[in-house]
Amino acid sequence: MSLLAIEGLDAGYGDLQVLSDVDMAVGSEEYIAIVGPNGAGKSTVMRTVFGLADHMDGEIRFDGEGIHGLRPDQVITRGLNYVPQSDNVFPGLTVRENLEMGAYILDELPEDRLESVYDRFPILYERVDQAAGSLSGGQQQMLAMGRALMLDPDLLLLDEPSAGLAPDLVAETLDRVDRINDAGTAVLIVEQNAKEALRRCDRGYVLVDGGNRYEDTGDALLTNQQVREDFLGG
Amino acid sequence: MSTREESGGVLSSVELNPLAVVLGSLAVLLFADLGRRLVTGKLPVSTLATFLWEGVVFGMAIGLAGIGLAMTYSILQFANFAHGDYITAGAFTGWLAAFVVAGLGSFGLSGLVLVSDTVPTGELGINVFATPLAVLVGLAVASASSAGLALALDRVVFKPMRGARGISLLIASVGVALALRHALIVLFTGSTRSLTTDVPGQTVAIGDGSVTVGAHEVTLVVVAGALMLSTHLLLRYTKLGTAMRAMADNEDLALVTGIPTERVVRTTWLVGGALTGAAGFLIALESGSMDPTFGWDLLLLVFSAVILGGIGSVYGAIVGGIIIGITRNLSLVWLPSELVLVGAFGVLIFMLLVRPQGLVGGVKTV
Repeated sequence: MSLLAIEGLDAGYGDLQVLSDVDMAVGSEEYIAIVGPNGAGKSTVMRTVFGLADHMDGEIRFDGEGIHGLRPDQVITRGLNYVPQSDNVFPGLTVRENLEMGAYILDELPEDRLESVYDRFPILYERVDQAAGSLSGGQQQMLAMGRALMLDPDLLLLDEPSAGLAPDLVAETLDRVDRINDAGTAVLIVEQNAKEALRRCDRGYVLVDGGNRYEDTGDALLTNQQVREDFLGG
Repeated sequence: MSTREESGGVLSSVELNPLAVVLGSLAVLLFADLGRRLVTGKLPVSTLATFLWEGVVFGMAIGLAGIGLAMTYSILQFANFAHGDYITAGAFTGWLAAFVVAGLGSFGLSGLVLVSDTVPTGELGINVFATPLAVLVGLAVASASSAGLALALDRVVFKPMRGARGISLLIASVGVALALRHALIVLFTGSTRSLTTDVPGQTVAIGDGSVTVGAHEVTLVVVAGALMLSTHLLLRYTKLGTAMRAMADNEDLALVTGIPTERVVRTTWLVGGALTGAAGFLIALESGSMDPTFGWDLLLLVFSAVILGGIGSVYGAIVGGIIIGITRNLSLVWLPSELVLVGAFGVLIFMLLVRPQGLVGGVKTV
């Protein structure tokens, strides 16, 4: 059974429908990439799962249970977490406070999770009392991921983690995502660097005009002539 | 968001803005003139010290009253025009309690409950030395009632409008302000009533004269200072306080992080309301009298303090309040007492010209 199952999803914002009849599934410990042109609705998929976009029709199930209509603080207790594309840290809070907020729903701060985030991102430990707003873009991205890992989620939703980063940092950031997945967390990622993402993922979805266009393993999509010509620049 | 880049903006905008240069020069001239007056003895040092002390007292009151306004601004993104009437409502219920505690048994309950000017204040004899319990109970009731009022009005008026634009909320708050003020007038009548009996002040010799430091002034400064410190500790060191700052930073992110944003909003009204009620009670204690419009009359100054400090910043509100208070009273060196507010608002205009983001600008500390 899939961890996250999206079936026939229609969603959007107010009167504007962005997604129509989207199907998607993420198995446990899987690494799934969503690629596609700008405006295809990639981010809207994630925003709908987290209740930030308007769900119009269709099913969203996590671990077999419907989660649409739940508040975000209820969604994350089910075991999924989300890193938005931009403005994904609290700039006025320190690094440590940002991480603490990631575990807000727990009565007690899970010190072991905090340790494991520091182990994964040692630079955060070095900057622990610094304001998050003073970190570099790459470091903020690490902090955002660290915050989302504070509850040890089964599935992590990452919306363009490499957006706005210098080219050499893009690979580094995606390497980190690989390692998070290697440690057993399923990953659903939206990524502009489509080739890079498809190379790394288990399976990929190509989203066009708010609907599924292609769905296959990453390698198969990379070698698919049609996908190459239409979306990957030949 | 990024204040770092803007921090060099003070000088550059001064260079760019001729009006700011003129006002800045005027400020320098005024300070030079102040020095001249002191040296020539035209202005006794003790008089200046009195102006400064009274400025600090008034500034602490304005700063304390400003915290709640800054909090709701930063969390809910709207300027609450009903804030001034939360000050008044807190003061009236607080003084109601103080009157009952001090006068029950000696005076009719109805007069006490109405904080009526028919109750002879001299015989009631409320002050910090004679009736400390009444003052303490009054302060607590003032805080509790303003907090409860802020929560209730949020539930009835502002919560259903959550997500509406700031301007809609602002207009709604003007309506709330009017309704509240007139409800107070209907309940308590619009008369000005005296509240306290005089307490002996402590005279401190300074230079050629002395400054009188009143017990109620000290009470205001000490209690306001303690409440400000508590607010700082709450925001800095508690989970809920950190969540309040997180929500002020980025509400959407707070939501997906799992912070229960509605609970944070309620806490904000609760804490902000309690501080506002305390401020109202203390202002009335210090001045010894009140009427149902005094909070509204103070609102412009409270807004000035909050804007001066950097709207949305709790620390800015405190600093802004003290600056506004000192400026208002220091203006007495040059201006007749009817015009002291000109000085206070002059500082605000100067600030808006040279540093529109405020002293602690851009940083939302709640």
